[in-house]
Amino acid sequence: MTSYPVLSAATFLPLVGATLILLLGGGRRARWIALATTIATLAVSAPLFTGFDKSSGDLQFVESTAWIPGWNVAYSMGVDGISLPFIFLAALLSVLCVSVSWTAVQSKPREFYAALLVAETAMIGLFAASNLFLFFVFWELIVIPIFLLVGVWGGPGRVFASVKFLIFTLAGSVLMLVGMVALHQASGTLDFRALALARQYLDPATQGWLFAAFLAAFAVKVPMFPVHTWLPNAHTEAPTAGSVILAGILLKMGAYGFLRVSLPIFPEGVRLFLTPMLVLSAVAIVYGAYVTLVQTDIKRLIAYSSVSHMGFVTLGIFTLEQRGVEGAILQMINHGIISAALFLCVGMIYERTHTREIKDYGGVAKLAPVYSTLLAFFCLAATGFPGLNSFVGEFLIVSGAFKTEMWLGAVAVWGVALGTTYMVWLFYRVVMGKPSRGLEGLALELNGREIATLAPLVLLALCLGLYPELVLSYLRVPVAELLAIGGLQ
Amino acid sequence: MRGPGPADLALLVPELILVGVVLALMLVARRIRRGPVAASITVVAAFVAAIASVQALSGGATSGFAGMLLVDGYSQFFKLLIAATLVLATLLSAGCRKDDGVPRGDYHVLLLLAATGMMIAASSTDLMPLYLALELMTICSYVLVGIRVERPRSNEAAIKYFLLGSFASALMLFGISLTYGLTGTTSYAGIASALYSRGLVSPALIAVAVGMVVAGLAFKIAAVPFHSWAPDAYQGASAPVAGFLAAGSKAAGLAALGRVAMIAFGTETAVLTAVLVGLAALSMLVGSILSLSQTDMKRLLAYSSIAHAGYAVLGLIAGTSAGASATMTYAFFYVFMTLGAFGVVIALGERGTTLDGFEGLASQRPLASAVMLLFLLSLTGIPPTAGFVAKFVVITSAVQAGQVILALVAVGCSVVTAFVYMRVAVRMYMSNTVAPPPAPFPLAVTAALTLAALITLVGGVLPAGVMSWAISP
Repeated sequence: MTSYPVLSAATFLPLVGATLILLLGGGRRARWIALATTIATLAVSAPLFTGFDKSSGDLQFVESTAWIPGWNVAYSMGVDGISLPFIFLAALLSVLCVSVSWTAVQSKPREFYAALLVAETAMIGLFAASNLFLFFVFWELIVIPIFLLVGVWGGPGRVFASVKFLIFTLAGSVLMLVGMVALHQASGTLDFRALALARQYLDPATQGWLFAAFLAAFAVKVPMFPVHTWLPNAHTEAPTAGSVILAGILLKMGAYGFLRVSLPIFPEGVRLFLTPMLVLSAVAIVYGAYVTLVQTDIKRLIAYSSVSHMGFVTLGIFTLEQRGVEGAILQMINHGIISAALFLCVGMIYERTHTREIKDYGGVAKLAPVYSTLLAFFCLAATGFPGLNSFVGEFLIVSGAFKTEMWLGAVAVWGVALGTTYMVWLFYRVVMGKPSRGLEGLALELNGREIATLAPLVLLALCLGLYPELVLSYLRVPVAELLAIGGLQ
Repeated sequence: MRGPGPADLALLVPELILVGVVLALMLVARRIRRGPVAASITVVAAFVAAIASVQALSGGATSGFAGMLLVDGYSQFFKLLIAATLVLATLLSAGCRKDDGVPRGDYHVLLLLAATGMMIAASSTDLMPLYLALELMTICSYVLVGIRVERPRSNEAAIKYFLLGSFASALMLFGISLTYGLTGTTSYAGIASALYSRGLVSPALIAVAVGMVVAGLAFKIAAVPFHSWAPDAYQGASAPVAGFLAAGSKAAGLAALGRVAMIAFGTETAVLTAVLVGLAALSMLVGSILSLSQTDMKRLLAYSSIAHAGYAVLGLIAGTSAGASATMTYAFFYVFMTLGAFGVVIALGERGTTLDGFEGLASQRPLASAVMLLFLLSLTGIPPTAGFVAKFVVITSAVQAGQVILALVAVGCSVVTAFVYMRVAVRMYMSNTVAPPPAPFPLAVTAALTLAALITLVGGVLPAGVMSWAISP
C-alpha cells in the first residue's frame, strides 16, 4: 500500500492547481501550471492501478473521515473495478484538454485553466466517492466549471447553450436531491454499501419512486431520449476542451449513477422500469443515429452521435446480463476515448479553418495526410471496426441484447449499421475528393504537440481493441457482484 | 408581583449595551460628521453585545421578567446572528456615497435600535414583549428606509412600508388579544397549557388567533401573501438598509416564529401545518417566479428573499426540534449569503443597481465577480456552498414531515431561481461592457464581503459546527 491517501490526493490536487493558477497564473504561466498539475494528478493516481486487486469486488484504497456526524455522513472514498477505469480516463483526458487548449485559448487563460482543473476535481471525486452525499456534491460541482467553460469560451451560441445545460442538469439533480433525502430518511445512511444492504427496508413502491427521482438526474446527464436536447447545443458551442470533458466524462456520470446507485440500491425499482428503459435506449440508438445523419455541422454531428452511442450504453446496463453490463462499461470507456478524440480532431482543424460546416471541407487528405489518417482511425473506431476498441463493447452489448429480447438485438444491430453510415459519410465528405477552395493555402497539417495529444488515444483504442481484457478484467468481479447483490440476473 | 430586579436585568445585558451606545450616540449625533466614527462605534458595540450574549448563557438557560424573557441556546444563536448582521450592515454602509444627505449619527442609532428589537424578539417567551420588540425593529426600519429624504422613491417606499406594516402589526395585535381572550394569558407556556387542556375554547377562534399572529410574523419575514412591501421598500431604501432588512428582519421574524410555532401554538398542529405549508409554498412559488422578470438588482434580491423565506419556513412545518434546527441553520447561512450579494451590489455603486450593470464585470473585477458567483451559487443551493447545506436540511425536514409534494415544489422553485441568479452570472462572465470599471471598494466593504464569503464557503464544506450549534427551543 502507499503512504498517502491516493484518492484524495488525485481528487484535490487539481483544486490546488486551480488555486495556484488563480493566485499567480498570469499570462502564459497558467497553462504550464495546468499541464504540470494534470500530469502530476495522473502520476499521483498511478498506485491505484499497480496496487489494485482485481479478484476482489470490495472497495479498495478506502478512506473515511467523519464529516457531518449529525447526518451520519462521512467523507468516504474508495474504488472498485467499475470506477477505477473512469478515474484513469478523467485524469488522462484532463492532460489532453490542457494540451489541446495550448494555443486555442487566448482570452482569460487563467480562468480557463482554473475552471478546467476544478472540473477535473469534480470528475475524479465523483468516481472516487463511496458516499451518496459526497457523490452528489461532486455531481453538482462539475456543473459550475462546465457552465463557465461553455458560456465564456464557447462559440456564437454559447450563452444559450450554457444556460440550457445548467437548467437541464439542475432540473434533474434537484429531483435526485429529494430522492437522496428520502433515501436518507428511510435508511439512515448515505454510504453506498450500507444503502445496498439496507434496501430490504424499502418496499417496491418506494423503490420505484426513488428510481424515478434518480432517473431524472441520470437521464439528463447520459443523456437519454427525450431529455438529450441540451447536448447538441452544449457540445457544439463548447470550446474543444469543454466538448472533450462533456463527451468523455460528463456523459458517463449518468450511466455510472445507474450502476452505482440504481442497480444495487433499488433493484425493485429497476425491475419496475425495465421495459421503459430498454425502449428509451432503443429509441435513443435509432433516433440519435438518424438525426446524426442529417447534421451539416461536424461538431454537432459528433455530438448527436453521442446520443446514439450512449443509447447502447444504457441498453447494455438494462439488459441486466453480465455480458451486457460489462459491455456497457467497456463501451463507456470506449466512447470516452473515441468521442474525445473526434472532438479533439475537430477542434484542431477548426483552429485553422474557423468553420465547422461540412460543406466547407473536402479533400483534406491531400492537404493534411497525417491528420486524415488519424481522423480515419478514429472514425473507424467509432463505427466499431474489428480490432479497434468499440467493436468489443458493441459486440458484448448486442449479444446481451439478443439474449434479453430478440427485437432489442435487432435494433442494436440497426444502430451499428447507421453508425457506420454517418461516420463513413462524414469522413468521405471531409477528407476525400478535391480540396475545397476555402482550404487552399491553409497549413492544415498537425504539429508535434497535436500529434502527441492524439497519440495516447490511438494507443488506447488499439490496445483495448486487441486486448479488451485490459478493462474487462477489472469489471468481471464487481459486475457479477452487482448483479448478484440486486438479485437482478 | 415584584418588579424586575438585577437578576432580570442581567438577562438583557447585550440589549442594554446596544441601548447604552444608542443613548451616547444620540447625545453626540449632531457632532458626528464623519461616517467612520459612528460606524466603528456601532461595530464595537455589536461585538461587545455578542460577547455579552455568549457570557449570559454561561450559567445555563435562565428566565426572567416573570417568564417574559428567556436566555437559552436558541436566543443566543439568534442574538449572535443579529449582531453579525449589524456588523456586516454597518461595514457595508461605508460603501455608500458620502454626500447622500444621510445623517450618519442618526443612521447608526436606528440600526442599533432595530438590532436591539430583533434581539429582544429572539428571547421573548411572551407575546407582549415580542410585539413590543418587533415594533421597535419595524419602526426603526420605516425610518431607515426613508432616511434619504430628498429621494421621492425613498419616501414612497417608507410610506408603503409603513402602511402595510401598521396593518400587519394591527393584525398581529388582534391575534394576540384573541389569544389572550381564549387562554387568559400571553405567555407561551401558559398559552400552550391552556390550549392543551382546552375546555370551552372554540377551535375556529383558535385557528383565527393562530392565523393572525403568524400573519404578523409572516410580514416581518416577507412571506407571501404578506410580502408586497419588500420589493418596494428594498428598492427605495439604500442598499445597505435593504440588506439589513433582508437579513435581520427575516432572522428576527424566524426566531419569533420558531418559538411561537414550537411552544405557544405547538399543540395546534393541524392549523399550524396548514398555515405554514401555505406560507412556504406560496412564498417559494411567487418569490421565484416574480424574480424572473426583475431588472433592478434590489428588486431581484427582494423577490429572492421572499422565496428564501418560504424555504426557511419549510423547517418549521414538521413541528419537531430537528425541523426548528433546520430553520435556524437556514437562517444562519441565508444571512451571510444574502448580505454578501447585497454587499457586491453596494460595492459596485451606481452600476450595481441594475442587472445590466453587471455586464462584463468579470474582466474588470475578477475577484468581486468570483465572490458574487459564490453568493449566487449559494443562493441557488449548489454544493459545496452553505446554501446547499441550508437547502438540504430544510428539505430533509419537509420530507420528514411527510410533505414530499412540498419538497418537490421547493426543489422545482430552486431551478427557477437558478435561472434568475444565473442571469446575473451570465452578464458578469459572458458579455462585454463599455461601462467604466467600478471605483475601488472601501476597506470596510471588502472586509464585510470577505467575512460573508468565508462563511458561505466554509459553512458549505464543514457545516457540522453551525448545525450542532443550532439547538431548537
